[in-house]
Amino acid sequence: MQREKRAIPDELFYDRNDYWIKVAEEAVIGLTDYGQSNIGDIIYLEFVPAGTVVRRGDRCGSIESGKWVGSLLAPVSGVIMETNRKAEADPSQVNADPLGRGWLYRIELANRNEIGLLMNSGAYKAWMEERIRLEEKDEVTL
Amino acid sequence: MRQVWRLLDTGELPAANNMALERVILTARSRNLIPNTLHFLQFSPHCALVGYHQAVDLEVEEQYCREHGIEINRRISGGGSIYMDEGQLGWEIFALKDTPGIPKRLEDMYRLMCESVVTGLAKLGIDARYRPLNDIEVGGRKISGTGGTEMGNSLLYHGTLLTDFDVDTMIACLKLPLKKLEDKQIRSFRERVTCLREVLGHVPPMQEIKKAMEDGFTEVLGVELEPGGLTEYEETFMAEELPKFQSEEWIRGPRASQESNLSVVDHKTPGGLIRVSLRIDPLRQRIKSAFITGDFFAYPERSILDLEAALKNSSSRPTDVLATVRNFFARNDVKIPGVETDDFYHALHLAISAHGPGAATGRGTDAIR
Repeated sequence: MQREKRAIPDELFYDRNDYWIKVAEEAVIGLTDYGQSNIGDIIYLEFVPAGTVVRRGDRCGSIESGKWVGSLLAPVSGVIMETNRKAEADPSQVNADPLGRGWLYRIELANRNEIGLLMNSGAYKAWMEERIRLEEKDEVTL
Repeated sequence: MRQVWRLLDTGELPAANNMALERVILTARSRNLIPNTLHFLQFSPHCALVGYHQAVDLEVEEQYCREHGIEINRRISGGGSIYMDEGQLGWEIFALKDTPGIPKRLEDMYRLMCESVVTGLAKLGIDARYRPLNDIEVGGRKISGTGGTEMGNSLLYHGTLLTDFDVDTMIACLKLPLKKLEDKQIRSFRERVTCLREVLGHVPPMQEIKKAMEDGFTEVLGVELEPGGLTEYEETFMAEELPKFQSEEWIRGPRASQESNLSVVDHKTPGGLIRVSLRIDPLRQRIKSAFITGDFFAYPERSILDLEAALKNSSSRPTDVLATVRNFFARNDVKIPGVETDDFYHALHLAISAHGPGAATGRGTDAIR
């Protein structure tokens, strides 16, 4: 696999399921550049309705690519305030601009202490590189 | 020491039972209540199944299904609509994602699972091969399609093996890109799929087919299989889940906005006519499926089938279509006398534009929910 340079902005937080979290009064969640490239061409995206209360790790939507249905898992607990309806209608926006137009949803944080469980950009970069190393090992084995 | 997986064979069941079982077994695996499992399943009565995100009314000829006793249901996995009758064998793997030997990257995992089926088919004397992303084919003709999903730490990857197949009923019960075509083109569509009966001249006993598949999976995955039934937890959970999978809410529940339009266009070239039949989702700017025929000569013959596979679920934006077509011909040694690579792009673009500007720009109309 060709190693590509992936955008990992310093001002965002990250989790191990490849979400970025922009924390302000509320939080905005999206898929990282590496996450969207791993998923591939996204064909469908569905969210739970705005107003849904989710706990960290809960399923808050689904995503489909290459005949694979994956779960969107909440990186933090809270109330989903708004979902990106434009991305839901045209999921290719998540592939094209994961850190911008392809954001997923806004969430009102239930517990700000959970931010401490997230990774900063440096930790996420190390985590991502370790996974790429393991994927390359798989490739050699296959 | 080899891992021991469960071999589960639940025989013929109605669609809702099979769909519910998938949720039940995946849940049990994710809760670590069962070992990794190879499951064989069959369907009776026959049924049309849509992918998790698909809308039934866009994919299935519901009246035909009602008149012919064909059940309709929704899978928990992705992919397109399929027709399952008693002559097909479903196979599925339930496993922890971090199972040693199962690749982390989806594409690598698809390849490994499909290679297991290819190896199984070789035991039956069939020279099959994996066609990226998710198909298994014999001589360019599809014999098994696959798809999957996940729950927490576990995955489900499954497929169908066409043993004996009623193509006419499949064409009649699914909304395929064939409705405006002549018999000659429909015959050509039939040639895109095959089954054990066609390849071998007979259908081996089902037990023999299952044994070959078991051997394929054990050999490629490096595991042992131990026959077992559903656990008490699975039986109990199944009783709870079945009503949901029998409900209209599950089968026809609201899906994300989507459309499905069909267009057929002809494009003349010095090498012959290219006829393109496309199903497009203009709202989501996707080619749902493509069917390309004509009186041109392509070498190798299978290349057009491969092009159709490359176009499936790809973007319908003009620049993306051009890139898909050019990349395909750049990567494959295809010769079509009198037909240029861009002729296929022009034909496809014509078919996409036939739906109006929305098809190429995402401003589709008449969206359904």
